[in-house]
Amino acid sequence: MEGVLRMKENKKVINILIVMSVLFLSLIVYITYFELFVKEDIIINSYNQRQRETEENTVRGRIFDKNGVVLADSTKTETGWKRTYPYGALYSHVIGYSSSIYGKSMLEASYNDYLLGVGKGDSIFSFGNMDESGMKHGDDLYLTIDHKLQKLAEQGLGDRNGAVVAMNPKTGEILALASKPAFDPNEDRLGANWQAMVESENHIFLPRATQGLYTPGSTFKTVISAGALENGLGDLVIEDNGTVVIDGKPFSNTGKKAYGEIGMKEALAVSSNVFFSQVGVKLGEDKLKELARKFGLEKDIPFDIPVSKSRFSYDHMEETDMAAVAIGQGKLMLTPLHMAMITSCIANNGVMMKPYLVSRIVSHDGKEVKATEPSVLYDVISPQTAGAIKLMMREVVESGTGKSAAIEGVNVAGKTGSAENELTAKQEDKNHTWFIAFAPVENPKIAVAVIMEYSGSTGGKLAAPVAREIIKAYLDKS
Amino acid sequence: MLIVSYKRPVSLVLLADILAFGLLFFYREPHDFYILGAGLLVIGLIAGTYLLIVKKGLGDEYLFLIVSMLTSIGFIMIYRLNRELGFKQIIWFFGGIGLFFASYFVYIRIKIWDKLMYVYAFASFGLFLITLVFGSTIKGSTNWIVIKGFSFQPSELIKILFIFTLACYFNHSDQIFLNALTLKLKQIKLKGRIALMVIVYMFMGFLLMQRDWGTALLFFIIYITMMYAFDSNMKFLLLNSLIAALGGVAGYFALYHIRVRVETWLNPWTDISGKGYQITQSLFAIGSGGFFGTGLGMGRPDFIPEVTTDFIFSAICEEMGIFGGVAVVLLYFILAYRGFKIVLNTGDRFKKAVALGITCMFGFQTFIIIGGVIKLIPLTGITLPFISYGGSSLTTSFIALGILQAISKLGDQDGGSIADEREQESH
Repeated sequence: MEGVLRMKENKKVINILIVMSVLFLSLIVYITYFELFVKEDIIINSYNQRQRETEENTVRGRIFDKNGVVLADSTKTETGWKRTYPYGALYSHVIGYSSSIYGKSMLEASYNDYLLGVGKGDSIFSFGNMDESGMKHGDDLYLTIDHKLQKLAEQGLGDRNGAVVAMNPKTGEILALASKPAFDPNEDRLGANWQAMVESENHIFLPRATQGLYTPGSTFKTVISAGALENGLGDLVIEDNGTVVIDGKPFSNTGKKAYGEIGMKEALAVSSNVFFSQVGVKLGEDKLKELARKFGLEKDIPFDIPVSKSRFSYDHMEETDMAAVAIGQGKLMLTPLHMAMITSCIANNGVMMKPYLVSRIVSHDGKEVKATEPSVLYDVISPQTAGAIKLMMREVVESGTGKSAAIEGVNVAGKTGSAENELTAKQEDKNHTWFIAFAPVENPKIAVAVIMEYSGSTGGKLAAPVAREIIKAYLDKS
Repeated sequence: MLIVSYKRPVSLVLLADILAFGLLFFYREPHDFYILGAGLLVIGLIAGTYLLIVKKGLGDEYLFLIVSMLTSIGFIMIYRLNRELGFKQIIWFFGGIGLFFASYFVYIRIKIWDKLMYVYAFASFGLFLITLVFGSTIKGSTNWIVIKGFSFQPSELIKILFIFTLACYFNHSDQIFLNALTLKLKQIKLKGRIALMVIVYMFMGFLLMQRDWGTALLFFIIYITMMYAFDSNMKFLLLNSLIAALGGVAGYFALYHIRVRVETWLNPWTDISGKGYQITQSLFAIGSGGFFGTGLGMGRPDFIPEVTTDFIFSAICEEMGIFGGVAVVLLYFILAYRGFKIVLNTGDRFKKAVALGITCMFGFQTFIIIGGVIKLIPLTGITLPFISYGGSSLTTSFIALGILQAISKLGDQDGGSIADEREQESH
């Protein structure tokens, strides 16, 4: 009798053991769940004092250009370490700022983990690069930017708003990335001007090279030419009388100039709107949409700092829309960076490389933490098509609208453009001017895209010389 | 021979201690030679105690091993957080070992433990009353007695008295009535339950008066668990659960303290700097550690409030990682497992009940506080047995462990193992 009772009790004790096992297991499961799915959102909370702690105990890594010029430095002051930008506004839209009050932007934000030395991959075995004073040192960044070209780009823009992007077409390395207007990112200057800059009508904080969206104008004719060549319209000849009426809407050349019977090469050289508007209609809606998609419009461009998506905002296209798109007008918006990538794509035999700004990350003690390898973004057009367009663009600089980009002894290829905007609609002479170029044609080493806002001129006069100086400086040196 | 053999788990505990104290010695300059000396003493004491248990055949040999690992983790963490407290905890540990052996031998020597129900109950109530009259409020709970700068928490000791009270009842339920002759057996059973309930709720009432919610919850769980194991009346069990549920709901609406606890459990993020401060700081710490932890001395557990006592588990997770935390949970689990094994092997009902009570005390207390600091359940301030800093907590835990050790020895002698029972039944 007592034995049976004891058996019963023991069974219940085992049940209690099971309940307790479940409770302990739930602790383990919950803590693992917390670690895997919850903590990421929690530990970045500003009340987590560890965040500030890391920053205060870390000498933020420096940022160099490709040749070792210091672009962002950490200097010791009486009260601690201070972030300084020796070139002031020059890199405000590339490196951005790191401020205890205003936060972080651009590379300072996207590479924050590395600059603080808490980059992924070394967190388990890292003992934190501490120096004698107990300060941790973050990793240094080496950019693809060439400081000399960046300066030239900035000088080239002068007082005008706009952007210049230079890149290596074969690798995707960004050699210069200038935007204007810019601002001084040093903390004291930032604090002094913040309110005024926020309220500025000039949109000082807009990084035009990567987030400014502009109508591409005639530079887009290079893309349309590629589409025409790939769709069997390469031998098309059209009688150009200076104006053509499509679906009741007139499309005219600059100054309504008539060129007579012209083929594509000549049409691109003189930038004939009559020719290309008709090419657009012949290609048709589906081909145009496919072409835009192939060149990366309406797609996110992966990059080290935020980039706006280039727009091709059509659901349904009328014939007038097709004609407008083919001459680079209409509901078509591209960033200068994307324009430079398209230029590079043509220069690089139809292969668009993924653009990048950071080539190497090096720890304070000189070990390489990470290196960027060039990679292909899209295979856009065939090498034959690209080769044909290269020659056409060569013609633009040799005898067409882009003569002022010519450099003695170097084969430069390019394309001008002037883009309509809200002011040109009022018949004011205020269009944006574009120039895209690459050189040397036979072995392209650099591709450049320049835009100047409201400059009221054709791309050939103002923008082409800027591209020319950059190309010249780069090729002289290399 | 016994110590160095790799087959003995004690060598693992000792190796862990050698590494840990070595690390504590080296990681901060100037080097602290005292911690090296203290470490050697701790290692020697653990080895000696273990040898004594094994050589003299003092019952279960794993209980002490598991606990010495837990206390070692405690020293390491507490010393790293606060050097002075670390040394104090090591001194408490020496005292704890003494009490462990003392309670072991005293428990075995005295044979009338099961007849002293009212002694335990009145001793407890006496301690409660003294605390209420002379007690000081530390960290929101009025459960401390401070004599000449030396503070003591009677509720820790009352835990053991409570378990003994319950065990007495389940052994001889008639002893709840001092003069049981006038009652019939059936009446004894029914009225006994109610009388016990009154006594248990008095315990809990005192704890609630002290605002010691965590211990009150622990007492209730121990009561329910032991009722389940030793009293087959399920209706009464349900009644108790119902009362507890109603009490909880009423408490939620009537008492601001309980409401705050539940609300900060559900969403601490609305008031991080205020009511949700403790739990959010705890979660920041656990999250910052990751799976492998920042490494000892490399994290910032000093941002966590009450880190050496209630929140020590968060500090362990930050610096030793989630894996370290899980390892601690598993250590408690095998401690509870050994406890249950002793319960099953013990024939005598009183001893069985005491063993179950102590095992549940260790197990559920661990669940309540770890579940609280990781936000699985609402947070109630209660110590993590053997790890949290605190003399009362550590010494009481060692007294309870000594009793469990004694029962593991006596249980074998009673011949009450499961194997024996099967034999009996087949006859």
